[in-house]
Amino acid sequence: MITRNLFSAIMSTIIFSLICALIFLILDGVDVSLTEAAVGAGISTILFLSTLKHTDIKIKNCNKKMFPLISLFLLLLLSLSYVVSDLPEYGKIKISSESYTTKYYIDNSKTEMGITNVVTSILAGYRGFDTLGEVVVIFIAGISVLGILRKKGNP
Amino acid sequence: MKHHLIPRIVTKLIIPLILLFGLYIQFHGDFTAGGGFQAGVIFAAGFILYNIIFGIKVGQSILSINMTKNLMASGLLLYIFVGFLGILLGGNFLDYNPLSSNSVQGQLTGVFLIELGVGLTVSNVMILIFYSFNCTDQEQT
Repeated sequence: MITRNLFSAIMSTIIFSLICALIFLILDGVDVSLTEAAVGAGISTILFLSTLKHTDIKIKNCNKKMFPLISLFLLLLLSLSYVVSDLPEYGKIKISSESYTTKYYIDNSKTEMGITNVVTSILAGYRGFDTLGEVVVIFIAGISVLGILRKKGNP
Repeated sequence: MKHHLIPRIVTKLIIPLILLFGLYIQFHGDFTAGGGFQAGVIFAAGFILYNIIFGIKVGQSILSINMTKNLMASGLLLYIFVGFLGILLGGNFLDYNPLSSNSVQGQLTGVFLIELGVGLTVSNVMILIFYSFNCTDQEQT
C-alpha cells in the first residue's frame, strides 16, 4: 500500500495499530494491548495530525523509484515469515523461553508484593530502576520537543 | 470548533468517562491491566480532546504550559524521591520494604507512589507536546 497522501498514511497507521492491539488482546497481553491502543492509536495520531497542520498533505517532488522500496518490503516479508516458524504455538502453556527468573516472578509476586498483576509488579517493583530510566526518557523527549518548538522571545 | 453542536455535546458526555477510566487504570493497576504509563496517556487523551473541541485558550485556563512543565518535573522527582527514601530508611535505592513496618504493605505503598509519578510525568509530557505543536505566538506565554 503505497500512498503519497500523508493523511491516508496516518489513517492506515491507526488501523494497523488497532489490529495490533486486537492481536495482543487475543494473545492475552492485556497490558501491551492497552498501551498499543492508547499510544499507537490515540496520542500518536493526534500528534501526527497536529504536525500535518504545519505541513502539506501531499508529498511533492518525490522522484524516487518504487523498485528499491518494494524489493526491501519483499525482503522484510520473507525474513519475517522465515522467523514465524520459531514462534511458540498459539495457546501453548509451557513456552521455551521460560527461565528461572520468570518462574520466580510468577510464583512470588502475590506473596512478596501483594500485587496480583505480575506485569505491574515487575515494572514498578522488581525492575524499578529500568522504569526510572524509561520515565527519564519520556521527560527528556518532552523537554526536547519544548526546546525545538520554542517560539522566539519565550524562555 | 465551537459551532459544531454534536461533537461538543458528545464530548461533554464522554470526557468524564475517559478521565474516570484513566484514574481507574492508574489506581487499580496493581490488580488489573494497566499502570501509570497507560493511565497517563489516557488521561492526556481526554484532556487533549477537551482542548480540540473547546479551544486551546479554554484548556490553558485549566492547565497552563508552565503548570504542565512543573507537574512533569514533579512526577519524575517523586519517583526519584521514593528511590532515595528507601536509602534514608535503611534499604537500597528503590527498595520499598522499609517504607512500612509490614514489608508487603511497604511494597504496595512504594508501587502506588511510583505509578503516581509515572502517570504525572507521562500525561503532562503528552499535553505539553500537544500544546507546543498547536499554540500560536500569543498563546504560548
